[in-house]
Amino acid sequence: MLGHTTRASNPAWYQTALELDLQLHIRVDGPSVTTFFFRHSKARWTTGPSITEADLRDPAKMEACAAEILKQARSLKAHALGIILHHADEFATAELKPALDNPAALPDLREAAVQKPAAILDDSSIPPEQNSWRVIPYPAQGSGVIGTTITLTRKYAPFLAALRQAGEDHNFPLITHALSAPLVAMMGLAQSAPFVAGKSAVAILEYPWFTALVFFNEHADLLLMRTLQHRHLRQAPNLRHALTTTLASLELTDPDLFVLSLGLDLDAGLHLDLTNGFPLSRVVTVKQATADDVPEWCPEPVIAATPPPKGEAARSLTFGILRSEKWALQDFLPTPKEIVEIYPTRSEMRLLRGLRLARMGLYAVVVIILAWFGLGIFDVVRRNEWAFDPNQANVIRTRLAKLTAERQKSEHWDNLLEDRSKAWTSMELLSRLFPERCGVLVKAFSHTVRPDSAPGQAKVGFVKEWKITGFARDEAVDRLNTLNTQEGISAQFTEVARATGNIAFNPAVRTRSLAVNVRTQENSGFKSQPLEETFDTDEASYPFNFDLTITQRFEATDPMAIHVTKAP
Amino acid sequence: MNLYRQSIALFGIVLPVLACGVLVALCFVLKSKALESFDTKTRLFKTYETNRLAALEIESKIVLQRPHLEHWIALLAEEPSSSVNTQLRAIAEALPAKEFQKTAFERTNTKGGFGTVSAQPSSQLRIVFRGTFRTMQRAFLELESRLPQLQLQELRIDPNPNQQNPSPLLNFQVNYTAWEN
Repeated sequence: MLGHTTRASNPAWYQTALELDLQLHIRVDGPSVTTFFFRHSKARWTTGPSITEADLRDPAKMEACAAEILKQARSLKAHALGIILHHADEFATAELKPALDNPAALPDLREAAVQKPAAILDDSSIPPEQNSWRVIPYPAQGSGVIGTTITLTRKYAPFLAALRQAGEDHNFPLITHALSAPLVAMMGLAQSAPFVAGKSAVAILEYPWFTALVFFNEHADLLLMRTLQHRHLRQAPNLRHALTTTLASLELTDPDLFVLSLGLDLDAGLHLDLTNGFPLSRVVTVKQATADDVPEWCPEPVIAATPPPKGEAARSLTFGILRSEKWALQDFLPTPKEIVEIYPTRSEMRLLRGLRLARMGLYAVVVIILAWFGLGIFDVVRRNEWAFDPNQANVIRTRLAKLTAERQKSEHWDNLLEDRSKAWTSMELLSRLFPERCGVLVKAFSHTVRPDSAPGQAKVGFVKEWKITGFARDEAVDRLNTLNTQEGISAQFTEVARATGNIAFNPAVRTRSLAVNVRTQENSGFKSQPLEETFDTDEASYPFNFDLTITQRFEATDPMAIHVTKAP
Repeated sequence: MNLYRQSIALFGIVLPVLACGVLVALCFVLKSKALESFDTKTRLFKTYETNRLAALEIESKIVLQRPHLEHWIALLAEEPSSSVNTQLRAIAEALPAKEFQKTAFERTNTKGGFGTVSAQPSSQLRIVFRGTFRTMQRAFLELESRLPQLQLQELRIDPNPNQQNPSPLLNFQVNYTAWEN
């Protein structure tokens, strides 16, 4: 809807024709059709397009006429055009039902005249689909009724509908308004008629096809309206009689008579006839103010489009309400309700426009949120973890398990095959404890290794023991004594570890302990003899025998402790 | 007169809000699922990285040990007495025959020594030699280097008991625990 019409952006769609800056006034009085453009902002009147009675009545010509009007409106750089049709070719009154004679009910009657005219009309025989009624109040005190209704036919309704449709088709507001020209002329009397206080008056509005009589009391308030059809004559044939009888019925004595000639080439003798017929009345020919390019005989467009200067006091209650309450400016041929309801109202269009802005804001917020989501996901997706294939985790887990098992197997065998007890290193220990010609004769050497008994533990310590027995000469006693100390035996083990590379002999590890015990005794078989007569294997040449025991303990926490489990 | 107000409100804001809400909710669910998947992948990725580094570390260590392990496994695959005798023959060829003599060899399947505390299969070997000290030390060095599965349980060295006929040869008795696979 917002994209197809300018209803949201162009307020003219929801204004009345008389509120628009550019207006086209079409006055139809029977013999002629007169048109004027009015630029409200410049208060300028110009001649309008040429329109004939046929253009207004012939459906075949309406479309072309509407196109021409639209073209001229656009040439005037207007954004909208108000088209005011002044009905000056017909004027009739229809009485209200006497039961509705309540001044307080006028607003309801005004509404009912549009919606349900048959409910308020005294004569219900008039077909409502062919006519239109509008209520006009009689504010004057002493009037017999509260008002009357003005009746117009709907003969120009198709023309106005064609104009509105052309506006819809071209997305250009063509706003129509149908006025009753005599009502507008009557409203203009406030500015043009020389009312005299305390003197009643009758306005005689002479049109080509009828004459309207408007009766005012001494306060210039409306008492009555009557219409006299000319019936193809130049003036109403029974004007004097009708005027006389009505004055009598209204009990008006010698009222002022205001004559308004509202047509081209009308009978000029009316003023004289009235002067002769009503010698005691003041007869005044009233010229209503018009503008340039608007002739004096068609003042209604100027009266309708130009409100009186602000601050000008209303001449009477009647003239006040005729303009302020727009009784004289009622639209006789409004847009049908079913057509109006096709399009949203102005508040709905505002709502539509406001909601479009709200939607845009909503979409912007959603886009921002989606962008936030998108960036978040993009940030996640571009990471290495996102591209990671979960199957790889299983592959590497399997590989790790395999490697771990291999490592455990390697560690297991590394532990079991550790150089914790070797024959050749023990022999090296022996040779270093007692080197050649150190005054010691070794008679027996034994080395045993036994594991600790510690059930339930993952690793088991062990004990290594060396037992050496032999004979010693005097020079070896000091050596034996040195070996019998912790420092002495540790130094020997350290040296063996260094020389053989066998770390089992390293005594510095805290989880190991080293103990030594040397027992030296006199050799009972010793025979003292000169040194040069002795030989090394002669046990009798050794004054001492000895017994050396070395014990090395490896705790379960030692790196060389034995794994008790089987290879994985 | 406001015939369209409800429709305008419905189609102008209510449905777009609902659609946007659904869209946002959908995106929220998608993102939540993506984050959930990402968390799972991150967890797996961290595990993978940890395992990968651990595997690299283990592999860097065992890559050096692997040839040894393979060698050990090959040695352990052989029957202990057979491999010991084979190696002793090879060693004997490089040593003076008079200084290295194997005088006895005995194998028992009963567990002893280290074998009593370990679940690893093992057997006991008892070997008796006669020889000189240094030659026998060299022989033991060779034997124990070639067959690391031999764990010494006992070593006895005794001189020749015959005092009347002294000899440089000594008696060696060794007991080994031989690990088996």
